Amino acid sequence: MEIEIISFGKIAEFMANQRLTVDGIKTTAQLKDFLEQEFPPLAGIKYKLALNKTIIQETVELKSGDTVAIMPPFSGG
Amino acid sequence: MASERYHRQLILKGFGEEAQLKLASAKVLVIGVGGLGCPALQYLAAAGIGHLGLVDDDTVALSNLHRQVLYTTTDIGKLKVEVAAERLVEMNPEIEIITYPTYIQRNNILNLIQDYHIVLDGTDNFETRYIINDACALLNIPLVFAAVDGYEGQLAIFNIKDDNGICTNYRDLFPIPPKKGEIPNCAENGVLGVLPGIIGSLAAAEVIKLITEIGKPLINRLLHYNILTLQQYELNMSSGSDYTLPHTVADFLKMEDNNSCEIDSYLEIDATQLKQIQQKPSTLIIDVREEFEVPLLNPDLYKKIPMSKLDEFLAQEVTAYHVIFICQHGIRSITAAENFHKKYGTSKKVYSLKGGIAKWRNHLTI
Repeated sequence: MEIEIISFGKIAEFMANQRLTVDGIKTTAQLKDFLEQEFPPLAGIKYKLALNKTIIQETVELKSGDTVAIMPPFSGG
Repeated sequence: MASERYHRQLILKGFGEEAQLKLASAKVLVIGVGGLGCPALQYLAAAGIGHLGLVDDDTVALSNLHRQVLYTTTDIGKLKVEVAAERLVEMNPEIEIITYPTYIQRNNILNLIQDYHIVLDGTDNFETRYIINDACALLNIPLVFAAVDGYEGQLAIFNIKDDNGICTNYRDLFPIPPKKGEIPNCAENGVLGVLPGIIGSLAAAEVIKLITEIGKPLINRLLHYNILTLQQYELNMSSGSDYTLPHTVADFLKMEDNNSCEIDSYLEIDATQLKQIQQKPSTLIIDVREEFEVPLLNPDLYKKIPMSKLDEFLAQEVTAYHVIFICQHGIRSITAAENFHKKYGTSKKVYSLKGGIAKWRNHLTI
């Protein structure tokens, strides 16, 4: 399965936008676990996932070709 | 109303006298008169928002001027709200401007915002942003949220129902405030001056659209903007369920804002405590600023290990028992202290100098 990853802010510093080929990952929760293992700094940051440009509030199923955006909070002014 | 002043927007299709009258009777509170607040206020005042409130307890500093465009070099040291109000009145003497040289806290915000129709959040820290969010949600006041980080910005509108009856707030995005040091601020991470200029101007445009009911305001959508690529990315929002907002004023006032780390991982200390710990045997003070950062401190007393080399340092064994991390503003030092604690656990005492060298430079040895 192929997932497009788009990252922002501090997260983009260690996880560039990329197409990931992942096998055995069926849900956003599994994707989170996978990304936090591949990119350990992610586990130390609060972030929100958006699936195909919609923020998700609970675990949802993924399908090939989905785009997952990973957004950290910004506080600066 | 001097219609000549507003002529160019009065003749706009879909705007006209009616929209201008709505602006004239609107009350908008801008919290944070900095990089975002300055450009937002310029356009809100110029457009003829009838009543503008300005909240900020800070004074103008030299390092503000590259992005806080209402201020000049001769304003350094003056209260931002007073200088800003002076400039805005010169720009448009027909509107009312009220200044609040106050730091927003849970116990003063409800009184401040209750008479306003819209709040614009242009502050610079998470603690204040969560207080503003919770207060606006409690009183059901529309909130225009604007924030920047490095070369990127975020914009959203909260507390307004969309066509489906959905109403969101910041906690639907990020239910729990980040810990100190988890996300950098402008003082630590830097910001290109024009970025808050753009995001602040967009925030002002959203305020004007909400008041005049033109266009499609950013309700329940989060706009992300990247100034390096000029790309915008828009996310649709929905209500989350993993948080609870206070339903009464009493509950609101009781909420905890202290989001600093658990005390057993590291301690935040001031310069006096630093001096006391310094006297103890087996103490090591580590300056995690990069090589180019000033003021330079005595390298015999403050071991220089820049954040960029912290991992190498953590790979070695440290013999000292008390380990104090310092940096420019006390934020990177928290990250360093956390990482250090992860390796050594409770076998060592770890500290971070709160406020950093910028705050305590007269207490440190050059």
